Amino acid sequence: MKQLAFIAFILAAFCASSSTAKAQAKPAPKPKTELHVASAADMQPVFEVLAPYFERKTGIHLVINYGASSILSEQMISGAPADIFFSADYVFAERVVSGGMADSTDAIPYAKGTLVLWTRKDSRFNPLHLEALERKDLKSVSIANPDHAPYGRAAVSALQKMKFYENVAPHFVQGESVAQAAQFAQTGNAELALISETIATSPKFKNSGSFVLFPTYVYPEIRQCAVILRSSPQRDNAHKLLNYILSDEVQGHLASLGLRPIK
Amino acid sequence: MDKEALVLTLRLATVTTLVLMLLALPLAGWLALGRSRLRYVIEALVALPIVLPPTVLGFYLLVGLGPLTAIGRAIVRLLGHPLAFTFSGLVVGSFLYSLPFAVQPVVAGLRSIDPRYLEAAQTLGASPSRVFRAIALPLAKSSILAAAVLTFMHTVGEFGVVLMLGGGIPGRTQTLSIALFDQVQNFDYAAANRTALWLLLASTVALLFVYGRSLFRRNRDA
Repeated sequence: MKQLAFIAFILAAFCASSSTAKAQAKPAPKPKTELHVASAADMQPVFEVLAPYFERKTGIHLVINYGASSILSEQMISGAPADIFFSADYVFAERVVSGGMADSTDAIPYAKGTLVLWTRKDSRFNPLHLEALERKDLKSVSIANPDHAPYGRAAVSALQKMKFYENVAPHFVQGESVAQAAQFAQTGNAELALISETIATSPKFKNSGSFVLFPTYVYPEIRQCAVILRSSPQRDNAHKLLNYILSDEVQGHLASLGLRPIK
Repeated sequence: MDKEALVLTLRLATVTTLVLMLLALPLAGWLALGRSRLRYVIEALVALPIVLPPTVLGFYLLVGLGPLTAIGRAIVRLLGHPLAFTFSGLVVGSFLYSLPFAVQPVVAGLRSIDPRYLEAAQTLGASPSRVFRAIALPLAKSSILAAAVLTFMHTVGEFGVVLMLGGGIPGRTQTLSIALFDQVQNFDYAAANRTALWLLLASTVALLFVYGRSLFRRNRDA
């Protein structure tokens, strides 16, 4: 009997919470079309800003799956049902092209990325300087996995070029994507993070930390490229999205989102 | 990288199993033979990791016990570093993650003991702890062994917690399951094949051991 009462209590609690959730939800009209986007993790703050504008303009709702570019390219090649793939570099987008999955003969560049060093506001490295990477008392420096994520690869080559690598490498912790690398530092578990400017300029990271840019000549250009999947049933809509990102309107605003225009 | 990951995985599983069994035996004894009403609450809590996604554990360990909370700061003061990205952090994660696999088989084993043995010992004047050590534990030997093997293999198979907490440091936090994930993401299917085969073989042998033992014992008893 007691058990029954307990189950009834749990059920009641569930019903109560779901009914309040229903009451709060607005009766939004269902958008007409959904475009499935696979996007590099560094683009999350960018799409958070751009997706609503695009949806208002075209009526196309973006359903976006974020991850490390290599992981996403692997999924594309294995036939994951996405309409368009935004990589954080050329290599992983090109991999999808050479896998015969793209509707173009080459990957299409849409922006250039910038690598930054980020730390929390309450960290001992403030005021932040790239020379922090020279310090002997480093504990943990998070980077994205250099095999999976273009920003991880850029981080490694920047550290090598600036001769910080030997000093920093023993303290590396790796996130699967640049977003996880950033999250390690934002939660205070890692002291410093080498991440994308897109994440560092996003409101959450801007409020909780500070960043400095790496000079662009210390790492190979992060040329972010996109690919539209040949198998997509909505290639028209995918092209609409890509053209929107390539439009002067968006390219002119990329700087405020932590990217540089491609043209 | 393969060998490093294998050694690390075995080390993690061994340490976790030893620590867990030390706690699991008295806890299971209390759960199976005790009289407290609190037992149901504890038993439910112990079973939680079975139903919870490992990401919940990973999240609490990373953020809840991270340097942004008071507990996390205490840990940093105590250890000199946060739990994340360290072997000890993985042990804490694995401890919670594998807890039910250490406790539940032992509880089941102890509950299946004929209570008359225990009562007889008690009547003859043995203290409760002596009854537990001299009578109950030896009778539940095979359950304890099964619990240890399951705990060990469950820790070997851990993925989500390590992915969230580990930071993928070769030799320190990159376990076999993470290495396999990385190899697949790198399109290195040959290496992934080897790693997967290792895990498959080890798990099969361990389970054959657990199930085979009880089968042989039944035959012997019959």
